[in-house]
Amino acid sequence: MRHAHRWLAVLLVAAALAALPLAAVAQVRTLNVASLADFSGPYADVMKPLIAGRNAALDWWNAEVGAKLGVKLNYKAYDTRYDTAQVASLWPGIKSELNPVAVMGLGGPDVAALQQRLPDDKIPLLMSTAGYGYAWKGASWVFNPRPTYTHEMAGFIEWYHGKIGKKGRLKVTVVSSEASPAYVDIHKGLQAYGAQHDKAEIEVIMTEVQPTDLSAQVRRAVNAGAEAFLIPTNTAVVVAAKRALQALGKKIPVVMSSHNGLIASGRAVGGLAQMEGDYEVYAMALAVESGPPFEFYGKLKDKYGLKADWNVLTVQGIEQSLFVVRAIENAVKKVGADKVTGAAVREAMVTVPITSEATFGFLSDLKFSEDANLPTSGTVNLGTVEGGKYKVAATGVKFPPLKKW
Amino acid sequence: MLPSGVFAETYAEDKRLVRTGKQRLALGVFLLACLLLPALAGPRLVAIANVMLITAVVTVGLQITTGYSGQVNLGQAAFMGVGSYATAVAATRLGLPFWLAVPVGGVAAAAFGFVFGLSAIRIKGFYLALTTIAAQFVFHFSVLNLPKSWLGASNGITLEPMTLGGRRIGTDTGIYYVLLTACVVMVAGAFGIIRSRHGRAFVAVRDDDVAAGMMGINVVYTKALAFLVGAFFAGIGGGLWAYYLRFVSVEQFSLFFSIWYVGMIIVGGMGSIVGALVGVFVIRSVQEALTTLGPELAEWLPALGGAVVFAGMNVLLGGIIALFLIVEPKGLMHRWNILKASYRLWPFPY
Repeated sequence: MRHAHRWLAVLLVAAALAALPLAAVAQVRTLNVASLADFSGPYADVMKPLIAGRNAALDWWNAEVGAKLGVKLNYKAYDTRYDTAQVASLWPGIKSELNPVAVMGLGGPDVAALQQRLPDDKIPLLMSTAGYGYAWKGASWVFNPRPTYTHEMAGFIEWYHGKIGKKGRLKVTVVSSEASPAYVDIHKGLQAYGAQHDKAEIEVIMTEVQPTDLSAQVRRAVNAGAEAFLIPTNTAVVVAAKRALQALGKKIPVVMSSHNGLIASGRAVGGLAQMEGDYEVYAMALAVESGPPFEFYGKLKDKYGLKADWNVLTVQGIEQSLFVVRAIENAVKKVGADKVTGAAVREAMVTVPITSEATFGFLSDLKFSEDANLPTSGTVNLGTVEGGKYKVAATGVKFPPLKKW
Repeated sequence: MLPSGVFAETYAEDKRLVRTGKQRLALGVFLLACLLLPALAGPRLVAIANVMLITAVVTVGLQITTGYSGQVNLGQAAFMGVGSYATAVAATRLGLPFWLAVPVGGVAAAAFGFVFGLSAIRIKGFYLALTTIAAQFVFHFSVLNLPKSWLGASNGITLEPMTLGGRRIGTDTGIYYVLLTACVVMVAGAFGIIRSRHGRAFVAVRDDDVAAGMMGINVVYTKALAFLVGAFFAGIGGGLWAYYLRFVSVEQFSLFFSIWYVGMIIVGGMGSIVGALVGVFVIRSVQEALTTLGPELAEWLPALGGAVVFAGMNVLLGGIIALFLIVEPKGLMHRWNILKASYRLWPFPY
């Protein structure tokens, strides 16, 4: 009888010990994240580094942060073809298959198709790009980690105005197009900036989306005294403007954004050296080989199998994931891993700021509210080409406050 | 060709769309399957069906303008856009209910289409195609440059969900039934139009407008009417699209979509309402399949590169249209009709 009790006790202890790891496993909560991508649409050629950056940063978080919080992020990519109708037809399936707590968006079609549905579905859409005036909304479920393109470009104007010691207004020419409402929004925003602040006089040149020659328009702007050309559209417009300036023998800085930046435009125009003295400006890390962002990239490459070069697209993929995981992390800390939902992530988003340190300097300090779904104050970074090499022109440049246009 | 022993004794019988018991059964089964789809299929398929139903309304309109009346139209997406914006304005600014706002969209698009239809009176073929492309640009630039308070300019317009009888319809299943009903009504209307004297005038003008005029058909009126009717369908589709997405923006109605609508009627079969529906089903299915394959391809063949995948997808989709133009220019419905006739004649060759 005593032997039987002893065996029973041993069995109970063994069962308890065996159950321990099981209990630990059971405590890990898996949360799903949908990753919207474009594998077969117009941006398919730039998807590889962006997705690689996204995935590696999510893997890093799972291993080093999520494990401690008892949360694992399961992510799955969906091809939207960068098409609104495709996003609309994909979304109900994504919702039922994954029931995600957050969606990583790619661009305008995702916002157009989902912005009105998300409040009902209670799932936030988190982007990687800068925002637009028309998407700058209160009570939104779409969040941008960067301010509007207008804010970013205005950041450059303020910085350049001080750099050259300009007295009075800087004469700025924006080369835009009516091919897309997004481009129209940016130049209208810059015109509004010109009216709201006294730093710049904004002139807008309209062109086709893929112009072959801008000589006449650029000549007219140069003769009118243009001191900087802002080109937030695409690389084709940058190439046409550069060719026109070269033909005129004028050296006036051309300013680009992240999607048509110095490296991409330099490649299109025939070499980075041709972009000497030009700039790119955006509110995320520059792809320079020093500083915390580059160190974090190195870590992802060494430990988490990141197979993508260090460039603006990889930066964009990593910053988006860091933006998403920090929002989820804040939600976990706020409501507990068991209670994290899309609504909890959004709530954390509008109540808990995300510091620049938390994103390893990939983004500036982020603070959202019920009134603003993108940062309305913060800083931008500027890259340039000096001696044929890509270099940092300035970091942490404050962009000016703007009223909605 | 009708089955042996089935013939019309009255004009009403001759006009009838469904003539045999088997046809009635097939139609009944199809409609039943449509009704049961949300219960049998997952949300993804319901969402695909929703987009297909809206596209079907737009494409049936194009079939009337191009397939039946022979008027080349590369501006159907613009007409859809006009309908979409008009619906959004009617709903948000005038506060009209869903069931009234959508027809307002249809009427606005019909008026816009009629203007371009007037150009069809003097020109045809290649020149008409260019004029309808102009519709795309007129629409695009007008929306972006009109005062923001009118059409939202680059901001677009957001809508509240549709409500019917005080009930908010926000779920995909609810929207599916609304769209299915609208699609059935519009397709039935299209069949009615093409079997009417207007429909016969469309076909006569398409086949030979000079001869049609000699026979007493008002060619000018008929061509303009073809655009008006086709654009009305596009406008209704646009209105439904506005309520489906609840956000209207100008880039949702680009020339690219107009070309796809033409592709759909080519694949399905020109001059056939059912052909337009088949075309929508085939092209959208291929697009959806490719979308599903996209991530897999990118994963399986990383060396291929995104640019190649993108090019490959478009080449494949474009190739389907080119293949039909070469091998079966009359579309799938023509092949189906041959198959059906062969079955009915069997074992005789003709």
